[in-house]
Amino acid sequence: MPKESSSRIQLLQGTLDMLILRTLLFGPAHGHQIARHIQQTTEDLLQIEHGSLYPALHRLERRGWIAAKWEPAGKDLKREFKYYRLTPAGRRQLVAEESKWKKLSSAIARIMWPAEEN
Amino acid sequence: MWWRRPKSREMDLERELCAHLELEAEEQQQSGLDPEQAHYAARRALGNAALIKEQVREVWGWALWDIFVQEIRYALRTLGRSPGFTATAVLTLALGIGASTAVFTVVDSVILKPLAYHNSGQLVQASERVRFLSLEPLGPNPRHVDLWQKRATDFSGLTLLRYRAAGLSQGSGHPRLIGAVTCLPNLFDILQVQALLGRVFLPEDGVKGHDNVAVLTYSLWQSLFHGDANVLNRTIRIDDTPRVVVGILPERFHFPNANALRTILSRPPVSGTPDPAVFLPVALDLTQFSWNGDYGNWVSLGRLKPGITAGRAEAQLTAIDGEVIQEMPANETHLESKLTAAVQPMQEAVVSDSRTGLWLLMAAVAGLMLLACLNLANAQLGRAMARRREAAVRTALGATKWRLVWNALAENLLLAAIGGATGVLLAFAALDLFRRYPPVDLPRLAEVHLNFSVLAFSVLVVVSASLLSGLLPAMRLASSDPQESLQQSTSRTLGNRQHTKLRTWLIGVQVFGCAALLLVTGLFSKSLLYLLNQDRGFQTGHVAVAEVRLTPNAYGTDQSRAVFDEAVLANLRAIPAVQAAGLVSAMPLEGVSWIEPLIRTDRPKQEGPLINLRWVSPGYFEATRQRLLAGRFFEDRDRGRNNVVLSEGEAKALWGNEDPIGGQVRVRNQTRTVIGVVADSRSTSLKSAPARMAYLHYADQPPFATFFMARSARAADTLVPEMRRAIWKYSPDVTIARVKTFDSQVMDSLAPERFQTSVLLAFGIAALLLAMLGIYGVLSYSVVTRKQEIGVRMALGATRRRVYTLTMSEASVPVIVGLAAGLLAGILAEGAVRTLLYGIQRVDPMVIATVAVLFLLAAAAAAFPPARRAASVDPMDALRSE
Repeated sequence: MPKESSSRIQLLQGTLDMLILRTLLFGPAHGHQIARHIQQTTEDLLQIEHGSLYPALHRLERRGWIAAKWEPAGKDLKREFKYYRLTPAGRRQLVAEESKWKKLSSAIARIMWPAEEN
Repeated sequence: MWWRRPKSREMDLERELCAHLELEAEEQQQSGLDPEQAHYAARRALGNAALIKEQVREVWGWALWDIFVQEIRYALRTLGRSPGFTATAVLTLALGIGASTAVFTVVDSVILKPLAYHNSGQLVQASERVRFLSLEPLGPNPRHVDLWQKRATDFSGLTLLRYRAAGLSQGSGHPRLIGAVTCLPNLFDILQVQALLGRVFLPEDGVKGHDNVAVLTYSLWQSLFHGDANVLNRTIRIDDTPRVVVGILPERFHFPNANALRTILSRPPVSGTPDPAVFLPVALDLTQFSWNGDYGNWVSLGRLKPGITAGRAEAQLTAIDGEVIQEMPANETHLESKLTAAVQPMQEAVVSDSRTGLWLLMAAVAGLMLLACLNLANAQLGRAMARRREAAVRTALGATKWRLVWNALAENLLLAAIGGATGVLLAFAALDLFRRYPPVDLPRLAEVHLNFSVLAFSVLVVVSASLLSGLLPAMRLASSDPQESLQQSTSRTLGNRQHTKLRTWLIGVQVFGCAALLLVTGLFSKSLLYLLNQDRGFQTGHVAVAEVRLTPNAYGTDQSRAVFDEAVLANLRAIPAVQAAGLVSAMPLEGVSWIEPLIRTDRPKQEGPLINLRWVSPGYFEATRQRLLAGRFFEDRDRGRNNVVLSEGEAKALWGNEDPIGGQVRVRNQTRTVIGVVADSRSTSLKSAPARMAYLHYADQPPFATFFMARSARAADTLVPEMRRAIWKYSPDVTIARVKTFDSQVMDSLAPERFQTSVLLAFGIAALLLAMLGIYGVLSYSVVTRKQEIGVRMALGATRRRVYTLTMSEASVPVIVGLAAGLLAGILAEGAVRTLLYGIQRVDPMVIATVAVLFLLAAAAAAFPPARRAASVDPMDALRSE
């Protein structure tokens, strides 16, 4: 069940790509699984409109960071889902994004909580 | 895969989203919702599916293309809904591109492009100015050119050539007339042209006895021998002289005709002058030329050494001419002789006559183009205003501003594509027509080919003008506040005043251009009417003229020519309904020919200007109906009696108010008695003052080029075949150069004027229609938007008359300002085209008044329908429909 919108956090611009890449590190997944995974891991804290996931997925695919393939779902062979998988380029991108994110968050942290840093 | 075909990619996305929704719905169901609720919850969680698809498509990168296709479709529909606008726009574009490409191409090929010879910038025409004759450059004396060749160091070569029309025959059949050039053998060395087949001339060809060879142009080779490669060493007969074909010139080789390289500049170009088709070497015997005469017959072409300017070469030739004066035998110098050379780039010489006319044509086309673009812009602007509400609705429904601009762009690209394609076809057709039926004699016509850079340029200009005029209003729309537009469009308000103002001033600019063009058109029309209606001194109706070229071989003696002339005249007079027949030694309206000094024997000191000599037969004055002022016309008894008939002007100049009949004059070293005076006539040219004439009896010196004229009670064109038969009846071997009616000769002599005037008239009418369309459009729109206001006014007591004036005066200020400025510009422009106008005062009040009245009437006619619509507004209806 969705939480009250006031307690949910708007996703920072550009971070969705990183989250998708990180999610796919565990193995191939289709769109719904990715959405569910991000939501569950953050305990519904992050507000992701499922819809916004797809443009992002297609964007990453176009950049060659992920690859897609229609495959039957694990248990139910009749249903096929479009599974996305991380490519080697995607892995490198994830590493780059991660380090960028770390720098950014530590920089923000230094400004926000200068005393704790000391 | 992103390069997959759009359709399958689209299905793929659909399937992916469906799968997502299904899974989500299943999960929602598991958490306790009923299927329907679960379905909706899943949709809510996903968000706006259409928007997502849109965003994904944008990611795919073909969004732009997709939007484009969509907009093109949309544009097709909207354009289809307003066929009037579409047709106007497409036509404007097509005409704009077609007309401007055709005209610019002609201007470029004729005036601007260098002549098609190797290093053509070095080629010059050399002439001489002889003070005792006239101050204009004349074709030089061959003896002087011989000395130039020997002494001038600035030239790598100098040649002499002479144009003539020659009868060409191969064995049997009537000879046909072709253009021929007789030249020194070095002509092709100077032009640096090689033969396609065989050879060009060798120096030996210029030796007496070895000169019976000929070089043919490619087109003559094609028409005469059908491109047979075995043509070399075959014999053709040119003016009854056998010539051996030794070479064929390349297809691309074109040599200017006699109109382009004239030896006497004041002689008007002759329409229908054939292009040179055969080149003959000449074995020049210099002793046959005098030292200080024979000017104006030969053309001298030369090639300058690299780095030498025409001015420097001119100074050198003038210096040599100074030596010539010193060296020439004393009995041949005229005391007042002063000789200078004139050297002009060949291109300049070839195109100078056509220049003013072509630039005028180009200015008219450019002006018309400008008007057309303005009209299109105005129509686009009006359309954009009319669609403001639609744009506002689209914006309110979420269309981005770029989408609106895209929409306008698609519409304009569509118009540009259709109009552009039509325009390109039009340009091709126009040029083809122009080449095949040239309305005027232009040099280098064979070189006129569609120039693709010119085409690209005019497509670019016209299409960008259209795009600009379509896009600017669209951008403005995009930046306007939809709410305001929606409110405004409730049509009680007065519409966007600013827009309307812009449109009325665009109309003003259009009126300006139109009025200027109309004024120039008016001047040209009046000039043409003047040329056609002035007193010529002769009558052309019911007269036909035939030109016969007698050759020195068959008709070398005066006797043989006289016999021929008599026989043909007798045959002509035997044609039923022929009232008079005669002959003359020069074609009327083709300029001065054979000019000589003439003096009264009793007053040898009294110098007069040079006069025109014409040899005529009895019957000539009757055939042309020239008026006799004193004495009598020639009769048969004047044969060998050394009599002369003078023109009125010449008789007045020599005798003043005394009676010239019986007086004695000296001309060509012979004393002659004046037997008659005829009224002045413009028989040399309709465009110049009547020439002073002395008519001699043809039997005194029967001409080789003979022009038979016959007057009949029947229509002149029925005479044409009969004259041909009458001539060939005597001898089938003579060359009949042309047979035509005298009326058509008049028309042909005015071909440039008629062409200029008809083009200007067409443009003027087009401009007037465009301006009327513009006025009509703006006022109609204004009436529609002001319907409520007009209703209120009428309800408050405004009369219908008041509404008429209100509407019609709306555009009156720009129209009147534009008209005044345009007329002023036209008057100023007149100075630039002065040389092309005849019988026109500097500021012609009649023409100005006519144009102004015509224009105001047209403007009123254009404003009337909208005004009537405004006056017929029912106030109750208008107020109720709020």
